[in-house]
Amino acid sequence: MTGKLVVNLHKLARFTNIAIPLLTGLFFLAGLRISFYFHFITVAFIFLTALNAFYRFGQKGHSLLRNFGILGQGRYILESIGPELRQYLFLNDTEERPFNRNERSEVYRKAQDINSASSFGSQKNFDSTEVKVRHALFPIRKKDLKPSNVTFGEERGCPNPYTLKRPFIISAMSFGALGERAVRTFARGAKQAGILMNTGEGGYPKYHLEEGCDLIFQMGTAKFGVRDDEGRLDDQKLRDLVANDSIKMVEIKFSQGAKPGKGGLLPKEKITDEISALRGVRKGEDVVSPPSHAECVDIESAVSFISHVQEVSQLPVGIKLCMGISSEFRGLVSEMKRQNAFPDWITIDGSEGGSGAAPKSFMDRVGIPLFPGLKRANNILTELGVRNRLKIVASGKLVGPGRQMIALCLGADVICSARGYMLAAGCIQAMQCGSNTCPIGITTHDPDLQRGLDIDLKATRIKNYVDNLEHDIEELLCSTGCRSISELSFDHLYVPKDSTLHAYVTKPN
Amino acid sequence: MNNLGSKITSWIAQLVAIAIMGQTLYFKFSGAEESTRLFAELGMEPEGRLIIGILELVACILLIIPSSITFGAMLGSALMTGAIIGHFTQLGWEGERFQLGMLAVVVLVACSIILYTRRYTIPLLGAALQGRENQ
Ligand SMILES: Cc1cc2nc3c(=O)[nH]c(=O)nc-3n(C[C@H](O)[C@H](O)[C@H](O)COP(=O)(O)O)c2cc1C
Repeated sequence: MTGKLVVNLHKLARFTNIAIPLLTGLFFLAGLRISFYFHFITVAFIFLTALNAFYRFGQKGHSLLRNFGILGQGRYILESIGPELRQYLFLNDTEERPFNRNERSEVYRKAQDINSASSFGSQKNFDSTEVKVRHALFPIRKKDLKPSNVTFGEERGCPNPYTLKRPFIISAMSFGALGERAVRTFARGAKQAGILMNTGEGGYPKYHLEEGCDLIFQMGTAKFGVRDDEGRLDDQKLRDLVANDSIKMVEIKFSQGAKPGKGGLLPKEKITDEISALRGVRKGEDVVSPPSHAECVDIESAVSFISHVQEVSQLPVGIKLCMGISSEFRGLVSEMKRQNAFPDWITIDGSEGGSGAAPKSFMDRVGIPLFPGLKRANNILTELGVRNRLKIVASGKLVGPGRQMIALCLGADVICSARGYMLAAGCIQAMQCGSNTCPIGITTHDPDLQRGLDIDLKATRIKNYVDNLEHDIEELLCSTGCRSISELSFDHLYVPKDSTLHAYVTKPN
Repeated sequence: MNNLGSKITSWIAQLVAIAIMGQTLYFKFSGAEESTRLFAELGMEPEGRLIIGILELVACILLIIPSSITFGAMLGSALMTGAIIGHFTQLGWEGERFQLGMLAVVVLVACSIILYTRRYTIPLLGAALQGRENQ
């Protein structure tokens, strides 16, 4: 028989539970007979006895504490500091999710404009899952590249087309999910970088407009900012809103990668007086947007609604969705073809996308990831012969040039990211966006926490980040021998056997 | 700590505790006759008198700074428990001693009220209390 060396915790706990009150009594006697100073310890032990009694008999929520008393507390203390310990000490550079240390530091370096050359070798896997970009035997020079202008609305002859000069967009994040200073930071940064910012579904874009950057107004399913009493679109409100010069385009949100099939969610902790006024919602309750637009009940009404919004706003209008059932998407595009009414762009959001607050089961389990989803959408549009009627915007962990390049090869015209810009503004991935406690002040309304966010400095970082992304994308383009993003294709990718994209490989690799 | 009522209750209790503890500090630090006699009886003259005085001063300060009120109340209630033990075991409750003892009881009650209104912020205990109410 081998004796177990480990301590029998249950026995130890039983011992402690008797020892604590016993010691309390002993120290009391010592205080009485030897020196009153012993009562310092007596008092501590009285409190400890009370705490232990409460754990054992006064509460039922934690079985461990009920059985083990304060000894069990040790486990909870250790568990509570686990995430920090792992992040700082025990997880290696390629292990963390959603963004590992390598991915994060690439963004930080770009944002701070630090040279990002690496040494010795790649830390990536070169096994059968990793997609790589194929380079040309004779790369071209940067001066041979064509300008990367993308004009939204040109296909349909929209009266007010919009030309984006650099293929980057700050993805939808509402004022609500973001605090005021974060909105200003992103808006100021977008303005300096000359890119677009999406307002998210937060209603009237007050601070965005004050900063004066070019904006996409997002119309969520609850239509904050442009809704009538029944939650339908109030045409006049939309007209008034788009009369603002800064609002260049309108995006209708059908679904979002982090929670496709569910509407937006803003936890009650984050609803301030101002937000309840801007959105027209009550304080003290979670705000849950409906899962779909009241006007859109089938593909026919959905397409009519898109053209209605185009009609009312006179601006380029796009839709945002996460790919789900491919045949449904095919149906939707066929209906667009039948009505000869296309959105000016489609944003394909991958299920790996972020969110200020989403049910865990949806974040983890619903929707098609970006790369296969994007490829599928692009294929369907091409097969139906309408790929040239609209632009494709892609989002879903596109925070570094590597993944962005893959998305561009899969058919995207423009790269959109939310968390990339959050990281550029200093996000440390504390994963507390929903609880109003963001330690660096981006997704919180607490003025003490927002204080940490220096708007001017961080706006510059956003600009640096965009500059360096563009620089890297241009270099990658040169290496492929393509003169513009539109020349990139699936054939520029090396797709190994175990990649999710392998099903689309037709020619031998 | 979300409604105004409990916030006001807590602040009143804090002020009571600070006022009573603070007022005795003067006698403790200046070595007033009654104070030295008390601590001599407990066999703590003079170090004990000064240590307790300093701890009470710390408790008062913690009770004023919003982010540390809970800790101030914890320290305050521990000190007062000690004082009450003193009255029961050595000092007694006769005459003036009764008044002094009752002041300690009042501070203890005040600290308990503070802790109750802020119970979710008590280290360790707070989380378990929340768990109990969400069952
Ligand atoms: C804090 C936060 C708030 C968001 N708010 C919205 C929103 O209001 N509407 C929306 O369509 N998507 C919203 N998203 C999703 C992003 O726009 C984007 O689709 C997704 O995060 C994928 O991009 P990323 O992986 O680069 O972050 C939000 C994401 C984050 C992180």
